[in-house]
Amino acid sequence: MSDNDQYLDMFFAEARDYIQMLNDNILQLEENPENKEVINSLFRAAHSLKGMSATMGFNTLTELTHKLENMMDKIRNGEIVVDTEIIDLLFAGIDHIENIVAQIKENGNEDIDIDGFLKQLEKQISVAKNRKPEEKEEKPAELGLELSSEEIENIRENKKELDTVYQIKVLLADETEFKQARASMIFKSASELGYIVKSEPKKEEIAEVELENNKIKIILVSSQTEEDIQAEIMNITDIKEVKIEEIKLPEKEEGDKKDSGESKNMTNSFEVSSTVRVDINKLDKLMNMIGELLINKTRLQALNIKSDGFKEVLPQLDRVTMDLHHTVMQIRMEPVGVMFNRFPRMIRDLAKEEGKEIDFIMKGKETELDRSIIDELGDPMTHLLRNAVDHGIEKPAEREEKGKDSEGTINLSAYQKGSEIIIEVKDDGSGINIDKVVQKALTKEVVSKNEIEEMDRHEKLQLLFEPGISTKEEVSDVSGRGVGMDVVKRTIASLDGEIFIESKADKGTKFRISLPLTLAIQEALMVKINDEIFAIPLNAISETLKIKTEEIKQVKGSDVIVLREKTIPLIDSRESLNLDIDYGQYKDKKEIPIVIVKSGAKEIGLIVDELLYQQEIVIKSLSNYLNNVPNISGATIIGDGEVALILDVRDIA
Amino acid sequence: MINLSNILVVDDAAFMRLNLKNILGEFGHEVVGEAENGKQAVEKYRDLEPDLVTLDITMPEMDGIEAAAKLKEIDKDVKMIMCSAMGQQAMVIKAIEAGAKDFIVKPFNKDRIKEAIEKALA
Repeated sequence: MSDNDQYLDMFFAEARDYIQMLNDNILQLEENPENKEVINSLFRAAHSLKGMSATMGFNTLTELTHKLENMMDKIRNGEIVVDTEIIDLLFAGIDHIENIVAQIKENGNEDIDIDGFLKQLEKQISVAKNRKPEEKEEKPAELGLELSSEEIENIRENKKELDTVYQIKVLLADETEFKQARASMIFKSASELGYIVKSEPKKEEIAEVELENNKIKIILVSSQTEEDIQAEIMNITDIKEVKIEEIKLPEKEEGDKKDSGESKNMTNSFEVSSTVRVDINKLDKLMNMIGELLINKTRLQALNIKSDGFKEVLPQLDRVTMDLHHTVMQIRMEPVGVMFNRFPRMIRDLAKEEGKEIDFIMKGKETELDRSIIDELGDPMTHLLRNAVDHGIEKPAEREEKGKDSEGTINLSAYQKGSEIIIEVKDDGSGINIDKVVQKALTKEVVSKNEIEEMDRHEKLQLLFEPGISTKEEVSDVSGRGVGMDVVKRTIASLDGEIFIESKADKGTKFRISLPLTLAIQEALMVKINDEIFAIPLNAISETLKIKTEEIKQVKGSDVIVLREKTIPLIDSRESLNLDIDYGQYKDKKEIPIVIVKSGAKEIGLIVDELLYQQEIVIKSLSNYLNNVPNISGATIIGDGEVALILDVRDIA
Repeated sequence: MINLSNILVVDDAAFMRLNLKNILGEFGHEVVGEAENGKQAVEKYRDLEPDLVTLDITMPEMDGIEAAAKLKEIDKDVKMIMCSAMGQQAMVIKAIEAGAKDFIVKPFNKDRIKEAIEKALA
């Protein structure tokens, strides 16, 4: 990779971040036009982009960002008043930036004609009163505490090797009783975690000094991790928010400059955390190698060498492999915020286009998911949210008629539940018209009339995920572009996830997506079917049991068992795997091993020949020739080097 | 989930003790002893070795702050929650410095008490 390429990669990565930052902040600016902090971040982002573009020699981009920066400066100085027109103009500017960057990425040039737009910007800027902008240094509105050079020196002398310096900002809930007393608890907790260098208010004065804006700032030297400190402080009652940043002490300069300039530099470096950008492909490769390692470990285990040393080294190897796997998984994780962040802008634009009022609320942006899942999830999420705006939320007048608030709400939330990540899209709009769905399903012959009669409400709703049901006849500008809910479902299924839907007329619709935390390595139960070994992923199993023939009951001609008053259908795994033998042989056995597997709310009892053991398996996908084998989701290599197929429980159930 | 625990309730007002005892009972905790002042609290703490002490602040003989400090001397792991009232913020701060885990403010709110106790015992 040449030097220039390296710069380019970094340029693209950083440009993407800045564009995101601009988008976010313009959205915020629209809500709080007076917020100086927002304007300052906007200005800084435009400024940084300008610098980067100029360095790379992208002249159009430089000019564009320069004009935008000018405009933001005028806004900051109050010469331009923020209104919808300005916001739209800023958004348009960012779109242009994005387009140019995309163009550069594609073919290296930036021949996009933005003269018209630049003139528009120019006009706004010159309309603003020709007051000379004040020559003042940009300053973030919410500063952390600054350290004097004496204090820095002091930290240097006392800090142990593993200690880190943290800037901690704590926000108390508005309704907190005895705020100063709460603050003293925070101080106490902090001093148990490390050493408080400085705080605001001062620790000694906490009984006398009222808190400003419910905020407490602490600079703490501690050997604990950021997460541990966060958890410890959050555990105190009435804490609304804890922000922790690592502070890098400035390099010790020769000549021992002790002017105030030094401490100013420090404030800036609060923002910097040390990260490395790594190509996702390298991580994939690493993950693959760990998979291989694991397979070899399993094989080694199977060799069962009779030696004391072997017995000792095996658990060690086991632990290291798992740690390694865990660490790489960790590295591959990214907060879903990287995907969520583009949605507020999208919803805003759509809502404006359609004359709808929408409050878009996002929760759990910090929830982490595997990077590859996040990448795949972008489109389905976009689709669901577009649907929520387009079909879900009604126009204000219609909402008022229904006695609802004229402003609709769309909630997007993410959270972890056990070994799954749940993402929900919820709107309080008109809900899904089940009759229409059923009608469409009948016309498209997805189901028969008889089948419909057997279905309950919930099952009818699921028809929405069938091909051809959700796509609109007349293609609207927003959703219904031929990509239907079936594609959404398929994408999510390909990530080993599931999607559920709930909807009530005039109350709204909720989509719930559940995704596995990890993809590559899983715990599995190994079972024997017709003398072959198969793996069943543990997260799909609710229990295993052995039953006697007489426990099998019949319902509508099918075998079932009754387990804790629940009727569970039995499925012969030989039959679902299409093994060439007589089915139903299990009835001759004394004891029948059964694996109860779940898919969504559905549970079935899978009859196998033998329950073997539990094992970590590395999931390998089947090659293209063997794509879409029913009931099989992949393969893995077991101890003796044999290949075992992985049962696709969702398919079977 | 949190373990149910043995609690010593210290307050000079019998009414408040009963009030607290009922609330704590609702959450499944057992009030193993009651004390009317700091002195009694220290004695009973030695006898009963409770998991947690709720300490009123204003009490005759020995107040809650002094009691908190004494209890901390006897048992450095003692878990104390201060029961304070309007205007006692400065005292609460002293008590926290003396080693109290948390505080609740009268009139008592059940959820607050539950939260404070769960956190103190965690």
